[in-house]
Amino acid sequence: MTDTKKTGGLRRREFLATGAAAVGLGITGFPAILRAQPAAVKLGLIHPVSGFIAFSGTQCREGALMAIADINAAGGIKSLGGAQIEAMLADSQGKPEIGAAEVTKMVEAGADGIVAGYSSAISLATSQEAAKTNTPHIVDVGVSDQIVERGLKNTFRFSPGYGKTAQFAVDNLDTINKAAGSPAKTAMIIHEESLFGTGTAELLQKRLPEKGIKVVDVIKHANPTRDFTNIVLQIKSKKPDLIIPANYYNEYVLLARTMRQQRVEAMGIYSVLGGAASSYQFVKEFPEAADLIMDCNHWFNPKSDVAQQRKAAAEAKGLIYTYEVFLAYNAVLAYADALERAGTTDKEAVNAALAASTLDMSYMPYGPTKMVDGQNEGAQPVNTQVQNGVIEVIFPEEFASAETVFPMKS
Amino acid sequence: MRQLALLGLVFAALFFVPFVVTSEAWQNTILMTLYAALLGQAWNILGGYGGQFSFGHAAFFGTGAYTVAVLQVQLGVNPWIGLVAGGLMAVAVAAFIGFTTFRYGLRGSYFALVTLAFAEVLRILANTVPFTGAGVGILIPLDQSAANLQFASKASYYWLVWAIALAAFLTVWWIGHSRFGARLMAVRDNEDAARALGVDPFAVKMRAIMLSGLFSGLAGVFYAQYFLYLDPAIAYGPAISVESLLVPIVGGMGTLFGPLLGAVALHGVSEASRALIGDLPGISLVLYGTILILMVLFAPRGLAGLVRRLSARRNSRETTNV
Repeated sequence: MTDTKKTGGLRRREFLATGAAAVGLGITGFPAILRAQPAAVKLGLIHPVSGFIAFSGTQCREGALMAIADINAAGGIKSLGGAQIEAMLADSQGKPEIGAAEVTKMVEAGADGIVAGYSSAISLATSQEAAKTNTPHIVDVGVSDQIVERGLKNTFRFSPGYGKTAQFAVDNLDTINKAAGSPAKTAMIIHEESLFGTGTAELLQKRLPEKGIKVVDVIKHANPTRDFTNIVLQIKSKKPDLIIPANYYNEYVLLARTMRQQRVEAMGIYSVLGGAASSYQFVKEFPEAADLIMDCNHWFNPKSDVAQQRKAAAEAKGLIYTYEVFLAYNAVLAYADALERAGTTDKEAVNAALAASTLDMSYMPYGPTKMVDGQNEGAQPVNTQVQNGVIEVIFPEEFASAETVFPMKS
Repeated sequence: MRQLALLGLVFAALFFVPFVVTSEAWQNTILMTLYAALLGQAWNILGGYGGQFSFGHAAFFGTGAYTVAVLQVQLGVNPWIGLVAGGLMAVAVAAFIGFTTFRYGLRGSYFALVTLAFAEVLRILANTVPFTGAGVGILIPLDQSAANLQFASKASYYWLVWAIALAAFLTVWWIGHSRFGARLMAVRDNEDAARALGVDPFAVKMRAIMLSGLFSGLAGVFYAQYFLYLDPAIAYGPAISVESLLVPIVGGMGTLFGPLLGAVALHGVSEASRALIGDLPGISLVLYGTILILMVLFAPRGLAGLVRRLSARRNSRETTNV
């Protein structure tokens, strides 16, 4: 008797053989398909990608996306079964209220964490909104110390704030000045009017006299300012030994160009968190205006192979490797590291992991990572100087790639 | 009375929104729409009903916001008292601006430019004097309790802005039906003719600017308590002045529901563009601009005017058919 019984159009033997083959192939050939895929971790990225700080916001977003792509390519979050990180994107338009509204939306859409917000004012609003749901929030760029001084348990920053930066800037300036025989006795501060420029200027005004440098004038300017002629004429009339700018990219470029056009002679231009002084774009486009400008800013460790590889990878994508790119990259890495250690996306656990972070950040010129009230105490800026079209690190010595040129040649 | 009944119906429906819409993100969107309507209605009192186009309503908004923040942070005054003080300080600033401009007969573009200048002067002052925190701004400590005018839920904030907006809309309804409103509109339509009829334009405009300042200031207090951070650009920057006048221009100046329609349209477009077009930087701003151009070209009386024109056309067609 022949077996003529059919199952779904197939003979029984054919069906069994095909079924067995399919199961076998499934087990051996496509294990990843059969295994349950771990749920993706949703990470909200909120930056001002439109508005007057759109360039910097876009740089932050690109840096964060690069980090996510690298983490996913390396197998995702291992402790979560290789869970991939999924980016949720939002534009704060440079407005705190829109940034905060985007946090609310993202949290409702299932965001496990937030990386934001480039500007201090936006970061204050987004972190506060995230605090209402205890959602882990890492500030990538935002130097106001108020961000981490409000006692929010969900807010973390791995880069230095302006308090530390100003202190570092003054101490290093003192060292550089003394090494040259203390030629600089007076300084003039030109800063933008918002939180970062004003806060930095206030701290500098307080600390510089302690180092024997008299502040002869402090000039605040609006954002945007498109004509620096009057400000530069004031600088010329006061003849300070040092000019200290603290402003955003566009204003910095215009100020530096006007100073060169007006032939302002000073012993040094020493920026603090200068928007352009440590920018490859500025150095490339205006090499004469940029030459020998010193800056105290966020920077990577030039002696780290990892940092150089990331720089090369960013440039291969057509990005200018500004501090926004690597600080946002680092913020995502810090979040991924916390997830890895927490082994869960539970917000409480991830916040605890972030608070206990000892992430190896040797690709940055930092000390060991140590979180105190959400702030990485190991973070510090460096001094850079543009020398022959190259941005060199000149201080601290362990990270330096060139000697300081001070005073500037006339 | 039909208008009042409709207003009551709309605000009664709005009151129950947090019970129906449980999503905090949507609650926030509706809350911000109502807040924009409040800003627009404040401007509408002076600009729409009074015909005095202000480009500097940020002066009132910022004063209200800074008053509650400074009183709280520097002097420890309870923000509920700050709410009243913020409104009153904005009224005082409005009275000062009104006195210095109306007294000398400034009208039209001159008035607009002077108000813009006042807001800018206040922005620079806030950027300079230490008690406002200067350029660093002022941060209200996070301490959520009703006594502190800080709420854990969006719904509570929603009802706060709902109450202020209701007061503003009722005031505007009253303006539309009162002797004062008739005088104000007479001044708007022809100041010299109104004066000839015995109306005191100065007194009428002063009352209008003070009422307008009050609600703008209260909107500022709300903003400060909701976001807990202010800096001079946020409080006195041109963005607030522009939003204040854009909402009634799009919705319909000199109408009761215009600011509400304008706020719904502008926020709706902004939300819809983000939801439908996705994350294309600046697309909502492009749409914003496009809508404004279209409104000015095809509906200069705003959405409220458009609705009125369409219903009038339908009525005339029905009459012709009969």
